[in-house]
This record gives sequence, C-alpha cells and structure tokens, in this order.
Amino acid sequence: MKYQYGEGDEAQMKSVPAKVEHEGRWVPTKVGIGEDRFRIDAPLKEEIPYKTVVNLEEKKNQIIVTAGADGTATYRIASVEKVLSVLKKFIITQASAYRLNAFFMSPAVRGGVLIHDARWEKGTIAVMKTGIWFVSQEKQVCIPLEDVAGIELTSREIQEKDLNVVKIDHLSENDVVTSFVLCPMTTLQVLYNFLKEATHDTEVSEEIDPLTGQVAMLVYSGMDSSSIENMLKLSHRDLDAIYEKLLDMRLAEVLYVRKEVQLTAKGVRYISESVKSQNE
Amino acid sequence: MGRILIVDDTMFMRTLLKNILFSGGHDIVGEAADGVEALARYQELKPDLVTMDIVMPKVNGIEALKAIKAADPSAKIIMCTAVGQEQMVKLAVKSGAKGYIVKPFQAPKVLEEVKNVLSA
Repeated sequence: MKYQYGEGDEAQMKSVPAKVEHEGRWVPTKVGIGEDRFRIDAPLKEEIPYKTVVNLEEKKNQIIVTAGADGTATYRIASVEKVLSVLKKFIITQASAYRLNAFFMSPAVRGGVLIHDARWEKGTIAVMKTGIWFVSQEKQVCIPLEDVAGIELTSREIQEKDLNVVKIDHLSENDVVTSFVLCPMTTLQVLYNFLKEATHDTEVSEEIDPLTGQVAMLVYSGMDSSSIENMLKLSHRDLDAIYEKLLDMRLAEVLYVRKEVQLTAKGVRYISESVKSQNE
Repeated sequence: MGRILIVDDTMFMRTLLKNILFSGGHDIVGEAADGVEALARYQELKPDLVTMDIVMPKVNGIEALKAIKAADPSAKIIMCTAVGQEQMVKLAVKSGAKGYIVKPFQAPKVLEEVKNVLSA
C-alpha cells in the first residue's frame, strides 16, 4: 500500500539532504524522517510508512529499503552516517519483521581474538528477509544471512550462571566474527530455527578428508598458496587439486588466478643478453 | 618484535602459528608439545611471550600457565584454544594470562593481539 506524498504531518518530519537512486543514477534530494513514516522528495515524491518496509540492507554509506506487501518498491538512499542511523532505527523498530527484545554481544570474537571490552547490550533484534539487525542505544549491527558462517544454540557463563545463547559466526569486513544473542529460551529457539533454516544452503554435509581440511584451515588463517605449499609440503599441482575440491564443495571461491610462467626463447635471449651487458 | 615460544600438542597448529608469527616479524625461539615441556623450554629460553594451547596431554595449558607464572610472574602468556571452550577464559585470566585466542583464528588478528600483549 502506497501513501500519498504529502500525507504525513509535515511539521513532525525532519527534512535532511540525501541522494536517492532514480532511473539508474544518484540524484540529490531531501528525505523527511517522521515518527511513523519517511518521505523522499522530488524526483521520487513518495511517502513510505515504516510498517510497510519488509527489508532493509546496508552497503557502505547507503541503505536499501524494500517496501510494500509484494516487496517491489525498492529505495536506495545515500546520506551521512548520522542521518542513515536515525532512519535505520525507525525502520528496524517499526518494519514488518519478526522482532524480539534481547541482549546481544557483537562482536565478541574477531578473527579468533576475544574482544576485551565486549559487553552485553540491551536492544531489539529484527529478522528481515536478507539479514538480522541488532539495534541498541549505541549500536546498529546488520548480519546479512549470506554472511552467516555458523549458528549454535549453546550456553555461556553470564554473571556466574550458565545461560542459553545463540552463537552466530559471520563474516564482517573480511574478518570472521562471533556474536551472541541472549533472550528467553522460547524466543531463542525461534531465532535459532529461523537462522538454521535461512542458512541451510551453507551447511556442510560432505565428507572432507584431513588434508583438504588442513588446507581450508590455512586459507581461513590467511595463508597464501606458497605458504600452504611449504607448510604441508605440497606441489603446486597438488594444492590446485585441493583448491578444486574446495571450489566444488562451495567451501571457497576464486580470489584471483595466479599465472605460473616459463621463459620463451626470446625471454631466455633477453636474460642472457642483459647478463652479458652487465658483465661488459 | 618479540621472541616467542609456541606451545601446542599438534604440529599442524604449531606450524601455523609459527608461520603467522614469523610473517609478523617475530622470532620463534622454541616449541613445546605439552605443559611439562613448556615450563622447561620457558626456563631455558626466557621468551618475551608464550602462546599456550589449553588442551594438551600430561600437563594442560592452565597448569603450565600457573607453573610458568609461579617461576616468572612477569611472563606474558596468550592462551589459545578451540571454539566452545571460552569458559576457560575466566580461569586463564585469573591465573595470569594476558590474552586469549580462539581457534580457528585469522593471522592479522593474532598478530594484533601479540603486539598488544608485547607492548603492554
């Protein structure tokens, strides 16, 4: 359901400069942020009640808002962090999404290193189509479902009590990060089941031999191909075969293809001549 | 850059850590595969920092940590363990660990933690 542009209470809307994507290009405009809706001025001239929003994604300094029951209206908005932060908060707390009050700790571990000052924050979790959002007074964290690398319903010692938590491993800015969610068990189970279902595609069902597992571990740790070859005493060809296995199982993706070359007769001639000229 | 002793019962993890730390410009002065060897190597080599696995045969990492701290209260030790054993953190910190890394880990983050502990 679309609302008429100008239907919202103008006096209650704070108008801020932004850019929106219109007909394939970014155009400057103003975005009005109200209590129950936001407005995008010309050229879009649209008002979007937060409750009609079905998805919210974030990419660098822009957000992508999908609204409407059929999810066909998509708005790409770019602005300064402060503006986007206010808009995101309104959307997340009112959008058409599964929402729960919870405590969360994100990130708790980054790249295998415990974050020393990580603490539990009270806030709202909104489960959207393509990701889950954590919002507290100070933080807005989005975990895109495609970046979720593992979910576990486990227990954690909190204030000297063992409490159930959902542990989420996910990718964030090229790091592997662990976040925790704490809420009543019934809600936790719903969240866990949803995430399990939504990330079903990334579950590993194949049998992985020890050597391939070791290579995967070294790639995870950030080792390059030559370090892996040296560490595991593998030839370039052996490692390529293992990479192929990882690619086939969709456990890895090609970052770039490195070329191995050997000199042609012309190349050899160049080297011979350059050495000769150095000796002269 | 520091002189580091790596303690882990699996050669694979020792080699991985060695590579990571070496790439960060650190000097790997020794390795140990259990807690008993860790204490002996520590006293012999006097490293600037120890990375210590928790689950090891003979004497585990927590006991080795306590023994090293008893021998040298200024010892800098980073504990290292698998996912799911985060409960050990409290015990390790209480026993004097300066840092904690969880396997699997990523090289840049490990180097960052090592740098933090060495400069503390």
